[in-house]
Amino acid sequence: MKIITTGGLLLALFLGQELFGQAFKPSKTQFMIRGYGHSGLNYEQIDDNDADLSFVGATFAPIFLFKHSDRLLFEAELEFELEDGEVKVGFEYADFNYVLNKYITVRAGKFLLPFGTFVERLHPAWINRLSTLPLGFGHDGIAPGSGIGVELRGAAPVGSGKINYSLYMVNGPVLVTSAMDPEEAGMLRFENFEDNNGNKAVGGRLGILPLSNSSVELGVSFYNGIAGDAGGEYENVAARLYAFDFSYVKQISAIKGILDIKAQYTKSNVANANYYELSPGDTIPTSYTFTNSSNAYFGQLSYRPSMASGFIKNIEVVGRYSSLSTPEGAEWEQEASQVAFGVNYWLSWRSVLKFSYQVTESVGGHGNAGSSRRTGMYAHWALGF
Amino acid sequence: MSKVRIISTLTAVFLFLVTLYSCEAQKAAASQKTGAQLWGENCIRCHNIPSPGDYNDVDWETIGLHMRIRANLTEDEIDKIVEFMKTVN
Ligand code: HEC
Repeated sequence: MKIITTGGLLLALFLGQELFGQAFKPSKTQFMIRGYGHSGLNYEQIDDNDADLSFVGATFAPIFLFKHSDRLLFEAELEFELEDGEVKVGFEYADFNYVLNKYITVRAGKFLLPFGTFVERLHPAWINRLSTLPLGFGHDGIAPGSGIGVELRGAAPVGSGKINYSLYMVNGPVLVTSAMDPEEAGMLRFENFEDNNGNKAVGGRLGILPLSNSSVELGVSFYNGIAGDAGGEYENVAARLYAFDFSYVKQISAIKGILDIKAQYTKSNVANANYYELSPGDTIPTSYTFTNSSNAYFGQLSYRPSMASGFIKNIEVVGRYSSLSTPEGAEWEQEASQVAFGVNYWLSWRSVLKFSYQVTESVGGHGNAGSSRRTGMYAHWALGF
Repeated sequence: MSKVRIISTLTAVFLFLVTLYSCEAQKAAASQKTGAQLWGENCIRCHNIPSPGDYNDVDWETIGLHMRIRANLTEDEIDKIVEFMKTVN
């Protein structure tokens, strides 16, 4: 009896240890959910009209990371957001990444485009130092955000610095025609899930980090493709975009904190084409054309006294100037500039309370010929998990 | 943006870089740096610097791969950084 009990105990111990041991052995594949939540309060006023005060956003954006091996990673992000009285689900990206060798990684699927740096690196609410996007991004933006296709990317040390690159082929832009939306005729849309023409857009970015401490990065990007539908009046209308970006981030003891400067200049050139408008009372549309070039830029500077003591080290101040100019003669002609200031309080490296004030001066924009001045005050929070 | 503005901006950026370069050129290249140094210099460029203690070893492996690709880090850099994160978390 005793022998049986001891034997049983030993067996139990042995099995227990086996199970215990296994529970702590990490698996080769790994699945992880990260992401962020964000919402806020907006107070906005256009000229002398009544102001709007509204809680906005309530975004929940889960990010799924599946590491199949040391070389293969799948990433996807969904974005649930309350907008115009309903839940909008955004499908931000879903792509697989395979590390071919030291210098080359292949990506395929729907991915954020490294056209400039704002969209790929800086737009998530817990990274963006202000509650709003600079002019030229987001709705009515002139820069592509994501695309479906394939990409090669990588980085290599060069001298005491390093370079990084990306080269991709995606479905490319769609040209908005008068038949699609007369108000936006001539604009580009980048959400092109089934290509409207056989032509693929080709783009890329080269980033140079000249200093050994990686504090400075200069980038140049391009994105070229046919935008018009195949087989129609616009089948040869091409779009050529380019961008320059700059980043400087460093903790400097002399100013007891982190100085962070980011900037991007984006230019879009679309070939000339005829668009049509129906004046009131007319039955036959008249055609018009314009030089279809737009540009946008922003510069942002932020400072956080990270070397101070107490709560002061969690405070950050930020200023940003941005500008957008769309074609003269288009229905969506606009000249706008914006100044934004903000104060942030960082609760952790990925959670922040953001307070900001901004003024946007614009002339034109969506069937609006006059000039307008929009002021906004924002109190937002963002939390990465 | 007017031509004058573009040229003056580029000149300013260039002068800024030359100044920085002369201060930094003598210092060690990335290949001679430790994981801790590379973490401090690289993981701060887009977002705030993450603390190693936020994630366990297995998580750091996945995040390391994600950031290697997203942030275009070199293999040498990310290997050293992940090693460092796993040692001090
Ligand atoms: C070039 C910009 C850039 C650099 C440099 C960078 N990150 Fe990130 N990081 C991002 C972006 C963008 C995200 C958000 C990913 C998303 O929302 O799709 C992110 C997300 C994260 C997350 C959240 C989990 C995840 O994987 O999404 C962690 C943790 C992280 N980064 C750690 C690091 C570490 C450690 C380093 C230094 C090796 C680093 N990052 C360097 C841009 C960068």
